Amino acid sequence: MTATASRPAATRTDGAPDAAGAPTGGAVVAVDHVSRWYGNVVAVNDISFSLGPGVTGLLGPNGAGKSTLLHMIAGLLRPSAGTVKVDGRPSWRNPAMYRQVGLVPEREALYSFLTGREFVALNARLQKLPDVDRATASAIRTVDLEAAADRPIGTYSKGMRQRAKIAGALVHDPPILLLDEPFNGMDPRQRLHMIALLRSMAAEGRTILFSSHILEEVERLADSILVVHAGRLAASGDFREIRRLMTDRPHTFGVRSSDDRRLAAALLVHDSVFGVDLSGGRLTVSSSDFGSFTRTLPRLAREAGISLHEVAPADDSLESVFAYLVRR
Amino acid sequence: MSVFGALVGVTLRALLARRRTILLALLAALPVLIALLVRVGGGNPNEARIFEAIVRSVLPLVALVFGTAALGGELEDGTAVYLLAKPVPRWQIVAAKALVAGSLAAGLSVASTVGATVIAIGFSASAIGTAAAFGVAAAVASFAYVALFVAASALTGRALILGLIYTLVWEGALAGILEGTRQFSVREATIGIASLLAPAGTNLRGGLEPGGAVALVVVLIVGGLALASWRLGGWEVRGTE
Repeated sequence: MTATASRPAATRTDGAPDAAGAPTGGAVVAVDHVSRWYGNVVAVNDISFSLGPGVTGLLGPNGAGKSTLLHMIAGLLRPSAGTVKVDGRPSWRNPAMYRQVGLVPEREALYSFLTGREFVALNARLQKLPDVDRATASAIRTVDLEAAADRPIGTYSKGMRQRAKIAGALVHDPPILLLDEPFNGMDPRQRLHMIALLRSMAAEGRTILFSSHILEEVERLADSILVVHAGRLAASGDFREIRRLMTDRPHTFGVRSSDDRRLAAALLVHDSVFGVDLSGGRLTVSSSDFGSFTRTLPRLAREAGISLHEVAPADDSLESVFAYLVRR
Repeated sequence: MSVFGALVGVTLRALLARRRTILLALLAALPVLIALLVRVGGGNPNEARIFEAIVRSVLPLVALVFGTAALGGELEDGTAVYLLAKPVPRWQIVAAKALVAGSLAAGLSVASTVGATVIAIGFSASAIGTAAAFGVAAAVASFAYVALFVAASALTGRALILGLIYTLVWEGALAGILEGTRQFSVREATIGIASLLAPAGTNLRGGLEPGGAVALVVVLIVGGLALASWRLGGWEVRGTE
């Protein structure tokens, strides 16, 4: 699957050329047949992709393997099989890589006795930046943390901690940013601010990978996405393409109407419907085509003189969407 | 500030920020208090017995707490990631942690040792000589223990338990049963170094030969820090999914 030309990001499955036709070797992050297991438990199962500049969302339910994957890219976990390369070099046992990489871990733990400014300055010093104070002030301004910068982190709210972590990760202006659930704990305004910030950073040519279990976050921010479910790469590519796949999968609806039995009979005739079920005193309809079904249902009901009381998707949890994408 | 300075600074503040530092200081003050009480009560405390007691209890305990907290505590709670995800040689992180933890442990155990010794003997030229010898031995032992416990922290998340087993079982209970364990006992090396440095007539019991004592300490400090650095280079984040 190839990203459309209008989008800056290119997410490719293994070996495929990106939108610009560059070879895979030019990728900033290259994940090649990577697996990771803990004893008998497989956390990441034979995943391959490569990333170039732009924002890529790593989407999947909790426990899908997102953090494991991000940690392997960040050089904090060794792949059990396969290789992860950042800027052409393996990320495992390669601390020099962190000059190019900013990492925002998911865990909340921070040095609670430091102020936000001291924490960001510590990151700047460990990056050997020539002007620590200036870089620190600039990073704090970027994440909108100036008001609280001189208070101990121990007094911070969840959203403030998150912003302090992000400031620490981008204080050295890295070309690659890895963020694990960066929007956790942020209020809607901060979320919008952060989305705008990450977008502008991507527009400057950075490679940004962030994980999330919330579809809407990914939809707003990512140019392209990687969908992970149960350790496998379920889908990857342009966001709109994946969204269509998610929408076009077979859907099941629960329907309540003035005459369920007659409505069921009318629906069964229709092409997009492949199953109706009246058991349990409730009408359940399975459809292969979301768009066609949702247009047809009201029309059929009106023609038959049946009033619709309720139409509710029965399986619209992300979990079922992911499960479908993996089976596909 | 250099990278190393930044590492030292954050480690020092992390260790001092906790209440346990005060508890450890109280623990270190205990031998001094006991010596003082015996003295005030008209008794004549024996400086060698007091030093042996410190080497058996206060010194390893203080070194264990600082040594496992400096690196192990941060690896455990996740804050170490902010140091590890930096282009910093791993040995610098280990060295900064060990330097700070060792200095704090040495500070407390030397103060405890010197204070108790001077009170036991009273001020005199020989008392100063004995106190200095005990103090140097306590400082060296603090760094050896800390190197050992920092290495244990890099190897396992259960460094505190392992450290307790080492000091209580290996150096304590087993030393009386199996003669061979003494060769690998920091406690015995400490007594050995103190005997080497103390004025003649100091009545210390046991202790390694000077050569063996110095060799053990050097091997622990150099080997422990090298092992910890190597292990930290391949450290894997815990507790993800």
